[in-house]
Amino acid sequence: MSDFRQSQNEAHPNKTNTLMTGIILLLILFVTIQIWFLFGALNNALQENLNFAITTAVGSLVFAFASFWLLRYLPDPIKKRKKK
Amino acid sequence: MSKDPNQEIPKWKQDFPIEQKEATHVSRREFAKFLTLLSGALAVGNTAIVVKSLAFPEKPLIGEHPICLESQVAEGESFQFEIEGSKTIPYLLINLGEGEWRAFEQKCTHLSCAVKYRHDIGQIECPCHKGYFNARTGDVIQGPPPRPLPQLEVVIREGQVFVKAQTV
Repeated sequence: MSDFRQSQNEAHPNKTNTLMTGIILLLILFVTIQIWFLFGALNNALQENLNFAITTAVGSLVFAFASFWLLRYLPDPIKKRKKK
Repeated sequence: MSKDPNQEIPKWKQDFPIEQKEATHVSRREFAKFLTLLSGALAVGNTAIVVKSLAFPEKPLIGEHPICLESQVAEGESFQFEIEGSKTIPYLLINLGEGEWRAFEQKCTHLSCAVKYRHDIGQIECPCHKGYFNARTGDVIQGPPPRPLPQLEVVIREGQVFVKAQTV
């Protein structure tokens, strides 16, 4: 018996792929920005520029939470969907 | 409806597959989770910088420290010394001539190589990546260093050289 989810998946077979690629690209973007923040904070902390360190730390935490939140939308493993 | 065969495999068994191909395979889900973990680690690192600077601020140098006799350092020469504190920092005392003395931290602000004074060009040189600093102000003249060299104030009293924290 087919249900709504199955017919949706059959109508749009690339959906999982697109979602996965989108999430991974977003995560790579977040991590890249965080590396940039960390590098800047390290350099500026040496110059006793605390405000910059605080700003980047807050930004980095926001990105980390966003990354964890994005995991909610990870598609389920394909293996589990194979119902034959 | 038939049961999904993968559901029956217990979790511990999924982690230790029999075939090597399954063991080395990294799914996109796992990669996404790894990126998230990395993101969390970077956030922790960035927060640690703030915590460290707030909880353990660097103590300023207090008082005058005797270094050497004025006669020990000839004109155009430099003298290396260390000051014990929360960290042991190497410094470079430079006799520029005509009664002008300078003391700079000896660590290059680029990658902490030991800098040296070159009297022939009147500059402080970092031999690692050819960074040059102004020997009077410590400012960067050329090369990769991002910041000027930290400086101490030099006081000459009765033939003895003292250093103290710079008063701005």
